[in-house]
Amino acid sequence: MAVKQGRRILINKDLCQGCKNCQLACMAEHTGNKSVLLLDLENRANQARNFIEPGNDGKPVPILCRHCDDPACVTACMSGAMTKNPYTGEVSCDINKCAGCWMCVMSCPFGIIQPDRVNGTRAVKCDFCAGRHIPRCVEACPTGAITMEQR
Amino acid sequence: MKYVILGASAAGINAAKTIRELDPNGEITIVSKDKAIYSRCMLHHVISQGRQPREINFAEENFFEKYNINWLAGQEVLGLNTEEKTVLLTGDLKISYDRLLIATGSSSFIPPIKNLAAAKQIFGLRNIEDAVAVNLAAENTGAAVVIGAGLIGMDAAYALADRGLEVTVIETAEHILPLQLDKTAAQKYEKLFRQNAVNFFFKETTVEIKLDQDNNVRGVVLQSGAFVHCGLVIVAAGVRSNIEFLKNTNVKIGRGIQVNSYQETSVPNIYAAGDVCESTETFTGQVSLTPIWPSAILQGRTAGSNMAAIPRQLEINFAFKNSMTFYGLHTISFGLTGQADSDSKELIYQDAGNYKKIIFKDGVIKGAILQGDISNSGLIGKLVQDKTKISHPEQIFNMTYANFFAQKENGEFCFACNDNCH
Repeated sequence: MAVKQGRRILINKDLCQGCKNCQLACMAEHTGNKSVLLLDLENRANQARNFIEPGNDGKPVPILCRHCDDPACVTACMSGAMTKNPYTGEVSCDINKCAGCWMCVMSCPFGIIQPDRVNGTRAVKCDFCAGRHIPRCVEACPTGAITMEQR
Repeated sequence: MKYVILGASAAGINAAKTIRELDPNGEITIVSKDKAIYSRCMLHHVISQGRQPREINFAEENFFEKYNINWLAGQEVLGLNTEEKTVLLTGDLKISYDRLLIATGSSSFIPPIKNLAAAKQIFGLRNIEDAVAVNLAAENTGAAVVIGAGLIGMDAAYALADRGLEVTVIETAEHILPLQLDKTAAQKYEKLFRQNAVNFFFKETTVEIKLDQDNNVRGVVLQSGAFVHCGLVIVAAGVRSNIEFLKNTNVKIGRGIQVNSYQETSVPNIYAAGDVCESTETFTGQVSLTPIWPSAILQGRTAGSNMAAIPRQLEINFAFKNSMTFYGLHTISFGLTGQADSDSKELIYQDAGNYKKIIFKDGVIKGAILQGDISNSGLIGKLVQDKTKISHPEQIFNMTYANFFAQKENGEFCFACNDNCH
């Protein structure tokens, strides 16, 4: 059964200015009030699911979960928490099932999944801003480096 | 087409799912000794009482109905007739197949220790029944011994200590997790374990189980003569492939069932996947058992596809990778982690919360231990797996995927040097 990839966030790294608006938006979206203004950057619970890292030329590179067609994190997950939705193509982690074994962290070659910083017991990854039509990182990007493709 | 799958763990379940996705009409039967679907890697959560047995099910809800699969649960495979194409099950039940997958996994190896066979409170930790039995025994004693400090042994030690038992671990090597960690990384954990009432004997072996007149465990005697008092023993001294029923068949066997990259055994229409088989491992290039979860999943899917007549090769069979966490300290390791040989170079980064070691040889990473902050360890694993030449080894601890960034046409990430990308 070919998996349908409904939405994918596309990256044009040449347009990225490294402003990290996408990271702030990601953190805010995963807090109760979803507000960048009220976001407490000193609270370790506020953890971005996307990253901006310098490439070999020193220029910023956005690294966001690809919700891969054949996701290594899902293959490695031994609790059944990590699944790829066959209809939307989204890869999500059911934190109630997640056992914090870090097989997904070990297996994602892009370094996108991380342990939660507060308890270190659950995997934290991009959830495509569950329920939102356009993910916050896409909405927040002022340069067009991060866009969304609907298929 | 009649598909029969022996085993309902990682490899068997994933093979069945793959077959159903490719062949909507085939008749699929899974035969398993297991009466429930569960993740063997999570049995210790049942002992620590963090989870109920039903909470370690890794499959989708209503798996068998959803994929229209017959499940013969609680059935042991006793024999195989490759001429007749039948398998013999408990109670003289015989079922026939067109394509057979053997995914019967492995069992705890029981070392030759005096009184081990007679003792009542001796357990492996492979099956849900083991975990349930350990729980019962743990209610009647304050002390446990774990033989073997590999991942299963340490998971068991952690779980038993967590429920308040005093635990003693007996290990033949000089530190815990000798296959996964070096001495420095192991000692970080040993300190945490000791703080939680877990004691260790290293370079020691167990020679005798002391029993009372009713064969209840009273303690263990070590090679040195030391006596450790306990009321239950967990044996975690390695595993052996479940291949007894293949005696008197022409299925070729080494330490496990020999398979090629299509998961085919030496007998036509018979496949094997997971802990029960041995195959060419990517990191070493040698034929070996590959007893880790992701290998079982990939092998199961590969077998399933070939059984459904869609040819698929297992391209990556990388089994030298481990992840673990005890007392909030996380570690991921890849490749060879012990002492580097003379023509290897070690790079180490250490601070209060972290220990990271990378071993380079001929410009590629041969081994890595990442303890503490494990973010980006998946990248290191990919570089080990692909034997990627690292041009600036000294920058390894600062590298992220941004240093390798490349994209496929469809927006997926890939590695510029290895994959088909633009």
